[in-house]
Amino acid sequence: MRRQEVPVLLNQASDRLPEPDLADAAWEGGLAYRRRQRRSVIAGLIAMLLGVVIGVLVMTLGGGKNAFTPPDTTPSLPGSIPPAGQISGINYWNAPPAGSERFLDRVSTPLGDLLRIPDDAGDLKDNPMDRVAAVILSSQEGNYVPLFLSSDSHWAQAATELRPIATGQPLSSGAIAPNGKLVAFPQPGGVFVIDVSTADVRSIRLPSQDLRSVSWLENSTRLIISGPGSAYRIDVDLESAQQPVVGAVAVSNDAEDATAPYRLDGTAGQVALRQYAGGNGWVEVSNPRLPVSRWVGQTFAGSNLVARVFVANPLPQVPTVASRAQVVAAISALEPLEDRLLVLGETPAATPTPGRTSPDRIREPGCCSLLGWYDSQTALFQVTDWLLAWNLQSGQVRRVTELEVDGVAIGPGIRG
Amino acid sequence: MRDTVDPEFAAYVDARQGRWLRTAYLVYGDLERAGEQLLHAFTRLSLRWGKVDDPDAYVLGILYQAALSRWSRAKVFEGEEDPVKTALAALSPQQRAVLVLLHFEELTEFETADALGMSHSAVHTNGMTALSRFRLELGTKDWRDVTRGDSR
Repeated sequence: MRRQEVPVLLNQASDRLPEPDLADAAWEGGLAYRRRQRRSVIAGLIAMLLGVVIGVLVMTLGGGKNAFTPPDTTPSLPGSIPPAGQISGINYWNAPPAGSERFLDRVSTPLGDLLRIPDDAGDLKDNPMDRVAAVILSSQEGNYVPLFLSSDSHWAQAATELRPIATGQPLSSGAIAPNGKLVAFPQPGGVFVIDVSTADVRSIRLPSQDLRSVSWLENSTRLIISGPGSAYRIDVDLESAQQPVVGAVAVSNDAEDATAPYRLDGTAGQVALRQYAGGNGWVEVSNPRLPVSRWVGQTFAGSNLVARVFVANPLPQVPTVASRAQVVAAISALEPLEDRLLVLGETPAATPTPGRTSPDRIREPGCCSLLGWYDSQTALFQVTDWLLAWNLQSGQVRRVTELEVDGVAIGPGIRG
Repeated sequence: MRDTVDPEFAAYVDARQGRWLRTAYLVYGDLERAGEQLLHAFTRLSLRWGKVDDPDAYVLGILYQAALSRWSRAKVFEGEEDPVKTALAALSPQQRAVLVLLHFEELTEFETADALGMSHSAVHTNGMTALSRFRLELGTKDWRDVTRGDSR
């Protein structure tokens, strides 16, 4: 078949079609389309006009309770929990009940899911680190070996042994300096300082034999070490061969009171937030009205917020049967309205039984203490075998890690 | 737009409707559908009558849009026994449209490309393939023999 034959074949295939007459129908179809278009435009304009009229009527005549009024409360952040009420004029939140820690949302940190003594810690001299995330102690024949966890989750062990102190293991919550490089351990008659970036070690002698708590100043060069009835400030310079400068600091009955840059102490009616003023003392900043029976652990400051845990006097807002509520207090050094409390209460019986009032679980006094700050709005605290994080803005409590060690100190490397 | 048919528009439609109905019938393979599409194209033209520079190109551009729609599942030359119509039915919609416009409507490849909204190379390729397949369907055993024989 040749190419020229194709038109002939196509012509034959279509040659018996009827002759159409489309001119009138096409013109009429165009007119109908125009009419529909015009009607749509008019309907749209009328609808818009009606909307405007209704809007004007609502705005002019719809006053009083029918008027649109803006909400008078600030919208809360997504996922935030409203406070449970107020204690002494301060907003408080209830912590998740004991036993529920495992089911809380998790904050991912270099500490992992479970913090335990590692099997394969390298030598600190071979594995120096920039920032320590956590320090724990391993017991060896009555003495203790410090183990350091870096911000990239590697363990290293210092080639030194620490002697036990009066309270047992020589680990204070404030052991790690703000720069994450220096770690101090209280020792009978002195203090032991290790630089984890060089593995340098310095033992500093002090007059008192009973020293229990250390706290670093913000510049990471000055240290306050305290015991019952004695406290000292030390200028730490590991590169200098000379004996560091040691000065006395105002004494407190509680060894863990002496912290910098702030300390929270005093019991009900005399609670005070004090700022370390250099030299040998603190100056009072404010007197928060807190129902404190006694304080537990050290004070830690994150930005403008200062936090510490206390065992509370009986609270009408949080009734307890077999124990006293323990409270994480976060007190602002600048604005009292930012003060917040997190109450660690009892876990009531899941199935109430007539005549039985004992709760399912209680938290023993002293089980809980503050360990530091994750960031300026998130406090880290220990509750029995758990390290938890409390976000002060949202009120949420999340789990950081389960603790299989007796004590831990947290450093800035926890942020990774 | 006037209420009665514009005489120039009526003359224009009268002059082309028979020819274009046949073309559309060969492309769509269904007389009713071809009539509907041609009426739709003329209706669209009536709305812009007097404003369109090239009415032929405008109508052809609208007329074959539905034929090339990839969602169309319309049957082509259903129940027909004429071998030419059967051969056309064996082509893809693109091949059929290109073959009809090139060989029946006698448009150039560039005009066909404009009418169908295709590239010139696509029209050329579809035209060659459609012609070979059309010949094959009409009885040649191997389309390559046909192509070689034809080129000699």
